Amino acid sequence: MATVTARPAALEEVPASAVEISRTRALWHALRRQPLGAASAALIALIVLTAIFADVLSPYDPLETRPEIRLAQPSWEHPFGTDDIGRDVFSRIIHGSRISLWVGLLAVGIGTAAGMVIGLLCGYCEGRLDLIFQRVMDAIQAIPALVLALAIVSVLKPSTTNAMIAIAIVIIPGNSRIVRGAVMSAKQNRYVEAAQAIGCRHPRIILSHILPNVTAPILIIASIWLGNAILIEATLSFLGVGTQPPTPSWGLMLSSTGRAFMEQAPWLAIFPGLAISLAVLGFNLFGDTLRDAWDPRLRNTR
Amino acid sequence: MYKYVLRRVLLAVPVLLLSSVIVFGLMRVMPGDALVALMGESGNIGERELAKLRKDLRLDLPYHEQYALWVWQMVTLRPGDSLFTGEPITTSLKKAIPVTLELAALAMILGIVIAVPIGVLSATRQDTPSDYVGRVVAVSGLSLPDFWLGTLVITFAAIWFHWIPPIGYVSLWDAPWRNLQQFLLPAAVLGYRLAAATMRMTRSTVLEVLREDYVRTAWAKGLEGRIVVYKHALKNALIPVVTIIGGQLGVLLAGTVVVETIFALPGMGRLTVEAILFRDYPVVQTNVMLVAGTLVTLNLLVDLSYAWLDPRIRYR
Repeated sequence: MATVTARPAALEEVPASAVEISRTRALWHALRRQPLGAASAALIALIVLTAIFADVLSPYDPLETRPEIRLAQPSWEHPFGTDDIGRDVFSRIIHGSRISLWVGLLAVGIGTAAGMVIGLLCGYCEGRLDLIFQRVMDAIQAIPALVLALAIVSVLKPSTTNAMIAIAIVIIPGNSRIVRGAVMSAKQNRYVEAAQAIGCRHPRIILSHILPNVTAPILIIASIWLGNAILIEATLSFLGVGTQPPTPSWGLMLSSTGRAFMEQAPWLAIFPGLAISLAVLGFNLFGDTLRDAWDPRLRNTR
Repeated sequence: MYKYVLRRVLLAVPVLLLSSVIVFGLMRVMPGDALVALMGESGNIGERELAKLRKDLRLDLPYHEQYALWVWQMVTLRPGDSLFTGEPITTSLKKAIPVTLELAALAMILGIVIAVPIGVLSATRQDTPSDYVGRVVAVSGLSLPDFWLGTLVITFAAIWFHWIPPIGYVSLWDAPWRNLQQFLLPAAVLGYRLAAATMRMTRSTVLEVLREDYVRTAWAKGLEGRIVVYKHALKNALIPVVTIIGGQLGVLLAGTVVVETIFALPGMGRLTVEAILFRDYPVVQTNVMLVAGTLVTLNLLVDLSYAWLDPRIRYR
């Protein structure tokens, strides 16, 4: 690049802020150059805006039932048709974006934060603590994610919030492992050794010398997990243990009415599924773009 | 090598024990119990009969004794009976395992057969239209929910071809054609997801390997393109691919839960989900431990296969 990077005056701050500048640049560059990256950013923007302005965008109340127009085909008044009790599918899908995004963001946020703390501790301390934590993570991972999530939701009783908690728990082991690996390699750096030598305290070493090395993999993994979290929420709702009716959730719409009326009214199954797919696709592609821009080595993580 | 295997097996023991504690604990703190579910089925039972039933099923023991008893049952391979149907768990497993095994194996074969060649093609023709198509197909495979794909496949097969998969499971040995009709669609749905992940990994590792010196040497020797790609590059590119396939086994097993539900196949996934909903502790516990044990074993096998793929790898 021909542009000159402005250098901060204080020498101490060079690494962190310079890294930040170059990362934002790299991402911007990737989004402009790669058509798939740009498409993913547009998709995510669309979904986020839909969720924020759901009340303004949806032509009808998503809960309003009008039995006289039940199972109406897609038309100008009802672009995605109506369901078995005459609710407007388009409005329900618009409102469903809130559930998906909300669950995805919170679940991934909690799961990533917890995974990061465990990974930082394990990678930094190693030894017995690491051994014990890693075995616990192994044990969680040995149980198929969906079955574990199902069991957790059954314990806590089915609801949107509990589905979110279950997803967060399922996310933790993989994240902690990736962070742990990144921490272990960051520890090899000379400057960490130097910090230890001049007597820095552990929290300071972890926070200001190791953490900056770990943020890129965390953000990349988190963006890929977002898509997956939306998928798991939809699956749990589909199996009847996630979001409960009448709240519009994409997975629930598919299972409750979509499957029951799939031959008479295929639009009830097609549109919610399409919404899930587009949302997940957006986050998957964005994660890919982020990964290629920031850390091509992470390509082998999934 | 033997030492390595031994150490891995020893490490697996605490992992499986921990998994068993998690499952056992989760099942015990679940609200509602199997007896209440049973009562709903068979009308009212008196308080005394309930207590007797509880005693018969050993649900009156303290938790640690129940746990010890269960671990002993697992170790001696006598998992007991289902609380709900009263059927011995081994009997229901004997029926369910072949279904899931066939589904998973078919999905895996379909997935690999599709994924590896397309991944290689995508890599050797990087940034051409066929590469873009391959990548979009792959990333959609990771994004389309399998329950949606399954539902659509059934719906459109019925609407367009007036064809519905035969209902009522038959085994491969009794009626191979009917059985395949039942399994091909669900296996394809499952396999697509597996193929997507595998395809992406194949593409990126083949791309990496193609830039290595020995591949350039192979080209320089004047070898045919096919031989360079398939004989020299692919084998070395396969290690991460095998890891991904190994990692996908869990996803595959989770996928069977959904796909078996949609396609009405009486496999492990459906059995487990129903058992969770009915609070059928012994069935859930046994199934989950069986799956966990399988996953741990498969992961070990995956790790051991590295040495075969790349003789430079030694186990310590």
